[in-house]
Amino acid sequence: MVKCPYCQSEMMEGALFCEECGLSLWGDSQGEVSTRKLEEGSNEFSVKSGWGTATFQQMNQVIIHIRDAPDPLTVRPSDEFLIGRQDSASGIAPDLDLTPYGALERGVSRVHAALRRGDDVLSLVDLDSANGTYLNGQRLAAHQPRLLRDGDEIRLGKLVLHIYFKQ
Amino acid sequence: MDFSWNYYAILGVLPTASEDDLRQAYRIAAKRFHPDVNKAPGANLLFQDINTAYEVLSDQRRRSEYDQVRRDRVDSLSHLHIDVRYSRQSLRSLREPQLLYVLAKIQPRLETMTLKTDAPLNLCLVIDRSKSMSGVRMQHLKNAAYRIIDECKPTDIISMVAFSDDAEVIVPAQRLSDPRNAKTMISAIRADGATAILAGLRQGLIQIERFRSSEYVNHLILITDGRTYGDEAECIKMATKARDNGIGISGMGIGEDWNDRFLDSLASQTGGSSVYINSPDTVAHFLHERIRSLATAYAERSRLVATPASDVQLNSITRLTPDAMTLPTDPQPILLGVIDGLAATSLLLQFHVLTDGAERGNFFVGRLDLSGEVLGTNQHLERATQDLSVEIGDHESEENPPPELLDALSKLMLYRLQDRARDAIENGDIGQATRSLEFLATRLFEAGQDDLGQAALSEAERVTNTRVLSKEGVKRLKYGTRALLPISGEQDG
Repeated sequence: MVKCPYCQSEMMEGALFCEECGLSLWGDSQGEVSTRKLEEGSNEFSVKSGWGTATFQQMNQVIIHIRDAPDPLTVRPSDEFLIGRQDSASGIAPDLDLTPYGALERGVSRVHAALRRGDDVLSLVDLDSANGTYLNGQRLAAHQPRLLRDGDEIRLGKLVLHIYFKQ
Repeated sequence: MDFSWNYYAILGVLPTASEDDLRQAYRIAAKRFHPDVNKAPGANLLFQDINTAYEVLSDQRRRSEYDQVRRDRVDSLSHLHIDVRYSRQSLRSLREPQLLYVLAKIQPRLETMTLKTDAPLNLCLVIDRSKSMSGVRMQHLKNAAYRIIDECKPTDIISMVAFSDDAEVIVPAQRLSDPRNAKTMISAIRADGATAILAGLRQGLIQIERFRSSEYVNHLILITDGRTYGDEAECIKMATKARDNGIGISGMGIGEDWNDRFLDSLASQTGGSSVYINSPDTVAHFLHERIRSLATAYAERSRLVATPASDVQLNSITRLTPDAMTLPTDPQPILLGVIDGLAATSLLLQFHVLTDGAERGNFFVGRLDLSGEVLGTNQHLERATQDLSVEIGDHESEENPPPELLDALSKLMLYRLQDRARDAIENGDIGQATRSLEFLATRLFEAGQDDLGQAALSEAERVTNTRVLSKEGVKRLKYGTRALLPISGEQDG
């Protein structure tokens, strides 16, 4: 039995794709992002199971892989870490400005989503964005925070991010 | 004695096999497919073949006669050939079932044949002239029909039927001696009335019957933009009968209102499938492509028996090219329709394999058995047998799955997600439908298919809010993901 790291469905041994969510269970697409990067920052539990750790301590950092972007970003989120698109006209300046990554064409709102710190956890909240925020393929209801785990996939409109926790 | 069969391949022995070899091979083969042991659909068909093969080869006199005839024929006739790739060459022995994917490409061996690309057509165009076709749709359709008339060869037989509440013959089946007259008749078609496909189908088949012979590629193309009410079952019955008479059917739908599942099921009775014409100005292109592919047909009425070993299950079978669609695994044989002489027909099979207790070494997965009537040879039947087997070892295969297989599978997953969403809605499972659509959107964006991804996303929202898909969205997603399927490099096979 193999478990899909994306939607947690159980697939038969030898499956190359997840029948539930269509994720490739083979090779680069997930191997590269989820295994290689995890080793430095997280406990071994998260590597195999597909469930990354949800523990996010005070001094932890977040590594954000933006799809099609060459280098990952490393950030230490504040209590409320705003993700969106810089807009000088309205004076909106998010903590993470996605403009350089094609945010406009990919439907990222100016005020799209935020990372929130709690007691040793990190959550993601959609700020009523026009095109929605997706966590591991599921759309979030606006203003309802969801717990983040190491290795999760976030989609803002059409822009896909992967996040990893780093101590 | 049927010389089109390779009896040696059926028993899995070399032509030099001794009587002892034959007896032993027969015992193994018979055990694999004995209907008492193997309940898979198709097993009894293969069991009969194995018995026949053994009867012939175990009889000294009949065997030498068979050998003689085969020798004389091998050089003069081309052969169908099945090329298979596995997702893994070797499996571990496990308690739990494992998934094995097999990509099978069917192609005539070109080096041993010269393709008769000039197989003459016996073609009937059956067009919907219901009220909704009026205006630009009808104009484009007429232009497409003119083009067919201009492009047909003097040896081709063409006919044309228009239908609404009733059907009328616009161009009776004939070798077109006067194309201008035919065009005048077509130009006079007026759009009016409702859509009664049965009437059109019946009249179209009558036209084809007039010249039907194995010398021709006998084919009916149905073009519609609407739903037919109440006569679906009869249409399907008629298509089955057409198939038995060697007539193929393709369906083309214009716009959003036609019933794609019905048209698919109608065409699949003869091994064909439907296409979606989202904009009327592309109808000529689609028709041209379809007719061109008929002209390079190598064999028709082809059928496949796919039978797993008794501890293996055939889970699904999908045709990738041409006309991507999921094929039923039961009943068998599975109809494949026309085998193209130039482009490969490719299939993806998914097996559930139970290797528990299997010994190391060769493991028999199942057998593919293909037959088709070669065009222009007076219904000469050609067959190909391909056994599927992998190794059982202590380790997982080290090598990567064939890239071709991975690529095909990744695209097939998209098609399946939309199909799944649709089934979920029909079963009232809105949550599942939304999930599948959202997953589909994610995968489409990943694949760089932004427009389709966007369409999936808006359908997901629509389903959440209204519990239904839009007619347009259904077709866009189905035919959009289907269009991604044809695998590259199919020409070089």
